[in-house]
Formats: sequence, structure tokens, C-alpha cells
Amino acid sequence: MSPSEPLISVPAIDDLRRDRSGHLVGRTVLDRSAKWLLPLLYLVAIGPILSLVYWISVRAVPTLSWHVLTTNPSGEAGGLYAPLMGSLAIILLATAVAVAFGFLGGLATAEYLSDRAAETVRVSANVFAGTPAIILGLFGYFALVEYLGWGPSLAAASVTLGIFMTPYVFRATDLAYASIPRHIREAAVGSGARPVQYLLRIATPIAFPQVLTGIFLAMAIGVGETAPLVLTTNQYSLPPTGLFSKAGALPLDIWGAYQNPLPGIVTAAFQSAFLLLVIVVGLNVIVRVVAVRSRRRLEGLYR
Amino acid sequence: MSGPPAGVGETVVAVEDVSVRSRDRLLLDGISIDFAARSLTAVVGPSGCGKTTFIRTLNRMTELTPGLKVRGTIRYLGQNIYAPGVNPVVVRRRMGMVFQRPTVFPMSVFENAAFGLRIVHAPEEEVDAAVTEALQRAGLWEEVRADLDGSALALSGGQQQRLCIARALAVRPRVLLLDEPTSALDPAATQRVESTLERLKEDIVLVLVTHNVGQAARISDRIAFLHSGKLVEVGATADILERPREKLTEQFITGRFE
Ligand SMILES: Nc1ncnc2c1ncn2[C@@H]1O[C@H](COP(=O)(O)OP(=O)(O)O)[C@@H](O)[C@H]1O
Ligand SMILES: [Mg+2]
Repeated sequence: MSPSEPLISVPAIDDLRRDRSGHLVGRTVLDRSAKWLLPLLYLVAIGPILSLVYWISVRAVPTLSWHVLTTNPSGEAGGLYAPLMGSLAIILLATAVAVAFGFLGGLATAEYLSDRAAETVRVSANVFAGTPAIILGLFGYFALVEYLGWGPSLAAASVTLGIFMTPYVFRATDLAYASIPRHIREAAVGSGARPVQYLLRIATPIAFPQVLTGIFLAMAIGVGETAPLVLTTNQYSLPPTGLFSKAGALPLDIWGAYQNPLPGIVTAAFQSAFLLLVIVVGLNVIVRVVAVRSRRRLEGLYR
Repeated sequence: MSGPPAGVGETVVAVEDVSVRSRDRLLLDGISIDFAARSLTAVVGPSGCGKTTFIRTLNRMTELTPGLKVRGTIRYLGQNIYAPGVNPVVVRRRMGMVFQRPTVFPMSVFENAAFGLRIVHAPEEEVDAAVTEALQRAGLWEEVRADLDGSALALSGGQQQRLCIARALAVRPRVLLLDEPTSALDPAATQRVESTLERLKEDIVLVLVTHNVGQAARISDRIAFLHSGKLVEVGATADILERPREKLTEQFITGRFE
């Protein structure tokens, strides 16, 4: 072989549909089947979810009315007012708890802790996020219901659920602040901003949509979570009136129907399931809207 | 806001025997140099020689990097900026900084330029006037005056860099520190930034880090040549380019290393 001879010879084939051995390109069985195989796989994956939504909707929607939503349950004939108000109160208070701990923790981790301390906190938060919810329920039962004597109550359920939601808010906050480009901080400080001015005027407006997204996702996950509630509150036929009053919740209705499958109660369970789906979908829509709008505003920042 | 103007030639910043050490080595070694009012000094040298480290010691930006230790004295109008009791935030408001990449904030053009004024809670009517003046001095006014409320992120790279210059100028600093401000820009944008800097050196002290000898030749009055953390030579631009005293300087300006 002379030194000028190329190691790989490329035959000059000018027919652009053929590869260098003369075969037609891009028409393999796999290529062709990908066109319909992928949508099929997608359907297989999403099918069960769609059928579940369908199955719940057909049983719930015809029985739902304004009347059902605004009357309290009584015996087997179920109104949903009490569990709906209970769920809303629990999720709002739980969100307050999760934001208080998760946001401050995430902010401190991203902005103030040394790299090594931040890593330690992150690892712990991940472990915490992996804790089965029923264990948190057990904690809520022993620490809040029993030891602090709160009894099965709005407060016990909210704090327990709030602890469950905290790692999600924590992670979103930490990531949002930690991923702000370093040169943005340098520019703010180089313009004579004090650290707190950088945080309030520059970092927070950048991080906020991502934090908000995390909060709404935590709410969407939390609102249907049952395990933290079963040990810290009970089904109840009146809406909560105070922190230490009893409070029902939509997931508990579903749980109750399983234990006591009378026709009226089963209907209420399907209605509850439908409402939960609506709330979860609604929260996810909010997340998308926030994400898209902020992406538009921050377009070009991470270039 | 900026006090009585300093006269031509009066020393504004005096660097006396400054060394910077990281955890494991010496990054700057005994640098002494003065910066006079109405001058543009180009700091040149091969990459990694300490240019960025040097310019960041001038307004205490080095403090953002944990583990760097600065020794020696830097005087701003006679006051040691590293003396106890000096607030680094105030130092940075008198000595503004522009970075290698444009660093606009995700806000409107106006609010970007106004940032330094907002954080000192300048009265609204002053903000308007100062922003206009800063954008004019940065040579950006004509291009953005029609859409001051538009997002700064929508500007081109060169416009963003001039907006960063305007942001620094809006608080009327006496000194502007620029760290390779054109290295991310195309030739046309570079040329606009250079003409902006040529105009600015009529009123303030400019310290321009550049690895581009051509740029130093075009717009600087004086060149300081850094090598391995040492200030090898400093002199009038023409002298350094035509009759460097040191062999290393000559090698660098004739492009024989890097
Ligand atoms: N924080 C730091 N810790 C340790 N070494 C550093 C640090 N910052 C810069 N250096 C080193 O100091 C030298 C000078 O860096 P720099 O000032 O950025 O050079 P230049 O701007 O001239 O390219 C380089 O070798 C760089 O690796
Ligand atoms: Mg550099």
C-alpha cells in the first residue's frame, strides 16, 4: 500500500438513494415499521391510563351535580361537600408546611451552604423523598395524633402530608437557584449589589417559575396521597371548622368504599376519584402554563 | 454623584506590590502599577498568565472565589480598598466591571441599565436621566431608544455587551474594568465596542484585559504585559509595540507564543 492511498475507499456513487455498497438507503424493515410501531407502543403504555380515566368518568360524571358537590354526606347517600372541603383545606395547609421547609431548605442549600454541606443535604433529601408514605403516616400518628394529642385532625393530616411534600419543593427550589448561571451572579455583584439584593432582584425572578412548578407538582402528588392521611384523620361528614377539628378527604372516600362497598358509597368513591383526577390535571395544566411562559421570558439566558 | 472630576494624569488607582495566592500556588506576584484619570491601559499576556485574576483584585471581585488570598495594597483615590472597614459593595460601585461574555439580566433594556441605580434606591427622575446618559455613552442609545421596555435577552451579543457597559456606567463610576469584553463578539460588534471605549477614555479610567495585541494597539494609551503572574513591562502603547525592553514582551507582541 502506498502511503498516499486512503485507508477506506469510498466508491463514487452519485445515486443519493444508495449507500456505498450500492444498497438503497433508509428503507429497512425497522425504519418502515418504526412509523407505526412507536405509536403502537405509546398506546400500549398509555392505554391503561386512558381506560382508567374513561372507566371512572363514565361512572362518575352522570351522577355528579352541583347538589352533590354542595351537600354533606349522610349515611350511605353521599354528598361530597365535606371531603372536598377537607381535601382543599389539607392540601393548602400541607403546601404551606412544605413551602416553609422546602423553600427555605432549598434556598439555603443552593445559596448559602458550602459545596460539601449542600451535597450532604441533597443526599439526605433524596433518601427522605424515597421514604414510603405509610411510614410518614405512622410518624404522624405517633408524634402528632398521639404524643402531641392532636387527635385525628386537620392539623395532624396537613402537617404529615406537608412533610411528605417537602422534598419535592426542596428539590425544585434547590435546582432552580443552583442552576442560575454563575456569570449572572458575578454581574450583579460586580454592579455593586449586596448578596441579598442579588437574591431578591435577580435570582428569585429567574428561579421563581421553577419553584412554583415544583410547588404545584408537589400539590398534584400530595392531593391524592392516601397513606399519610389514613392514620392521621378519618372520614367525616362535616367540613373542617378549625385546625383541630376532624377533616375528611377525597382519597379517604375511595379507601372507605373498598372497606365498605355499599352502592351509595361506591358511587361517592367514583365521584371522589373523578374530582381528584380533575384537580391533578388542573394542577398539571398550571405547571405547563408557568413553564412555557417563563421559558419565553428567560429565552437566551442560558445560552 | 461622582464628585469633582480627577485631572488628567492624576492617579486614581494605585496598585502596590499586590500578590494573589490560591490554596496551592502564587497567581500574581508583586504587581505594582498606577492607573491615571482619562487613560486606557490594556493588560495583555498569554492565557493563564493572571489577567483575569489581576483585574478582579482591583474591585475585590476575588472575594467571590473561596480560597484566594490577596496581599499588598490597592488605593482608590488614596484609600486602601482592602483596609478593614471598607465595604466591597461600595468599592464595586466606584469601579464597575464588564465581563468576557455579555451578562444581561432577564429584564427590560431599561431595567438592565438602571440596575446599579435601583439597588442604591436612586430617585425615579434621576434614574431616567442617568439611564439615557449611560446608554448614550455606551453607544447603544440610538439602537434601543425605540424599545427600552423590550427584553434585553432579545438584543444581539454586541448590543448586550454595550448594555453591560451602560449598566456599569449608569452609577457614574470613575473606573471601568473590562475583562476581554470582545472575545465573544464578531468583528463588527468588536469594532463598535472599541469605538465606545475610545470615547469613554476621555472621562474615566479604563483597564482593558485583552489577549488581542491588535486591539491594544488600536485603542490603548498604555500596555501592561503580564506573564506567569508577573508584570514584565508597562509603557506607552507605541513604545511597547515598537521598542519593548524585555525579550518576553517582544516575543509576545510578535505572536511568538500562545
Ligand atoms: N480560584 C483559583 N484557584 C486556583 N487557581 C486559579 C484560580 N483562578 C485562576 N487560577 C489559575 O490562575 C492562573 C491565572 O488565571 P487567570 O487570571 O484566569 O488567567 P488569564 O485571565 O490571564 O487567562 C491560571 O493558571 C488559572 O488556572
Ligand atoms: Mg481571563
